[in-house]
Amino acid sequence: MRIIVILGRVLDPRGIVVNPRAGRIFINREEYRLQPADRCALELALRIKEASGAEVVALPRTFLPDDDVLRQALATGADRAVYIAGQPTALPDDGLMARVLVAAVEKLGGADLILTGATTLDTGQGQLGPRLAEALGWPQILGAWTAGVANGAVWAVRQDGAGYVKVEAPLPAVVTVVPGALKPRYPDGRRLINIYKGVGEIAAALERWEATDLVAPEALVPTLERRGQDFPPERERGTRLSGTLEEVARAAADALRARLSR
Amino acid sequence: MDASFLDLLMAQQEEVTEAEGGGGIWVVADVVDGAIAPVTLEAIGAARNLAGSLGAYVYAVLLGDGVSGLAATLYQAGADGVRVADHPALASFAVEPYLEVLLNLFQAEGPEVILFGATPQGQELAPRVAQRLGGGLIEHATAMTLDEATRTVQAAIPIYGGQYFEIVACPQARPQVLTVEPGAFPAPFMDPYRKGEPKSIEVAPVEPRVRVLGPAEDFTPPPVPLAQAPVVVAAGRQAGDFGLVEQLAAALGGRVAGDRGARDAGWIGPEQIVDIRGVTVAPKVYVAVGIRGDTFHNAAIDNARFILAIHPDPTAPIFKVADLCIEGDPKEVLPALLAALGK
Repeated sequence: MRIIVILGRVLDPRGIVVNPRAGRIFINREEYRLQPADRCALELALRIKEASGAEVVALPRTFLPDDDVLRQALATGADRAVYIAGQPTALPDDGLMARVLVAAVEKLGGADLILTGATTLDTGQGQLGPRLAEALGWPQILGAWTAGVANGAVWAVRQDGAGYVKVEAPLPAVVTVVPGALKPRYPDGRRLINIYKGVGEIAAALERWEATDLVAPEALVPTLERRGQDFPPERERGTRLSGTLEEVARAAADALRARLSR
Repeated sequence: MDASFLDLLMAQQEEVTEAEGGGGIWVVADVVDGAIAPVTLEAIGAARNLAGSLGAYVYAVLLGDGVSGLAATLYQAGADGVRVADHPALASFAVEPYLEVLLNLFQAEGPEVILFGATPQGQELAPRVAQRLGGGLIEHATAMTLDEATRTVQAAIPIYGGQYFEIVACPQARPQVLTVEPGAFPAPFMDPYRKGEPKSIEVAPVEPRVRVLGPAEDFTPPPVPLAQAPVVVAAGRQAGDFGLVEQLAAALGGRVAGDRGARDAGWIGPEQIVDIRGVTVAPKVYVAVGIRGDTFHNAAIDNARFILAIHPDPTAPIFKVADLCIEGDPKEVLPALLAALGK
């Protein structure tokens, strides 16, 4: 059984300051980390591997300038990783990456399960999983909290209104995992050092493919074009509520309800 | 003029007629508890604005079982045409049956723009529709404008939960598929005199591939860390009755926290202290109950999207950072607030 886990990186928001008045974004600390939902997907893949002995292969979510994300995946427990070299886009372009990843899955010789994050921390996009499912003709389970494989099918728990339901789909399938669903493990220090030093079998588990070898050049034209930035209006702070206690409480309750429904 | 005469005059309006030749802006309706979801109406309103500049018609697609009666609402919201797939096989949402209907329809009609609500249903369907039709997809649009020269929709999407917005477009791919963020667009004027004749869509039942096995009763989601909690109700030294703070947190579905004063009072643990030396939070809603608001606390809530502060001292620094301020004793304000929330 082969599980493909698709991983991306995100600029740590703690290093960013947005100044709406100046209309600028200041990057004080440029530090990237695994997309939180993708990290949970990797953890789920490793748990399924431990339970059923599957092979876990990591692929990138976007064209990345370096392969740190994939090295981390290998150090955490993935068996194989493929760095796909291509021209990085201004914003993650899931339409373009779906074409490339479908070709990569075929080159790998297929898979039984594709796991990835249900949403990205920065852009909030969640289209990569369903796009892959459609391109491959597979069923999809979006927003899984946990999942497992049994009897040629994948089961998952996902939210349904206020509760949770268990669902099942035949393999092969695509499952996307919500951020915070599982407590991810840390990369193994020794494996990480070996990967960066190029020592041992683990270092050979990282391959490099060219995107141009996977798809035709016209398929590498980005779908999404960035046309500018906008900033939210500055907040009006310090509005004091006045009136009787009941009136004040009602106004506050209405404001809370409105905020919670967004 | 007599109001009833005006009513009569308005009622003589012609029914909405549809254009031939395909294209147009299509809105896929979400049905929640037997009614059209507000996000669908908002999407139709947004589509009408685009349609004016694009010179296109607005169509709505309604899928479900026993939903034909809801078509009138879609016309009232501004749809020029409505297609209804009313079939028992569509009674509850499943990807494959819904997708089959939509793909058959869109392959025949050749839409220029397709809008979905950014709801669980929309997020399942929109990427698959875009992938199959070779279209581009922009998710969570909060604003839309039109590049008239290329007939391309430009949309703003929130980055890091709305700290800023990227304006994006799919200039090459057609159709242009977008999911619309609920609450981002104003609800349209509902014209009670606007009517039309919906067209039925043939439904060939398709078996869903994902089976619901039943409620996951033994599953408990992992606790959300305080730093990532969407709602936080925090107490301070002036909170008075901590039980009321816990009640408010339960009523709002939020996590209980506090400042160092609450820790000194023994109400919270050290891991619940909101402070830049403790936990920095960025919730959707932060309620500060009896927190005076020192520099360390206020810096730790700077990324909260909405802050309600309750404190008896009108000069408390928390009022400078809060969006909404209530000057009063929390022991009196909280029972009234809980009553107003219906708890």
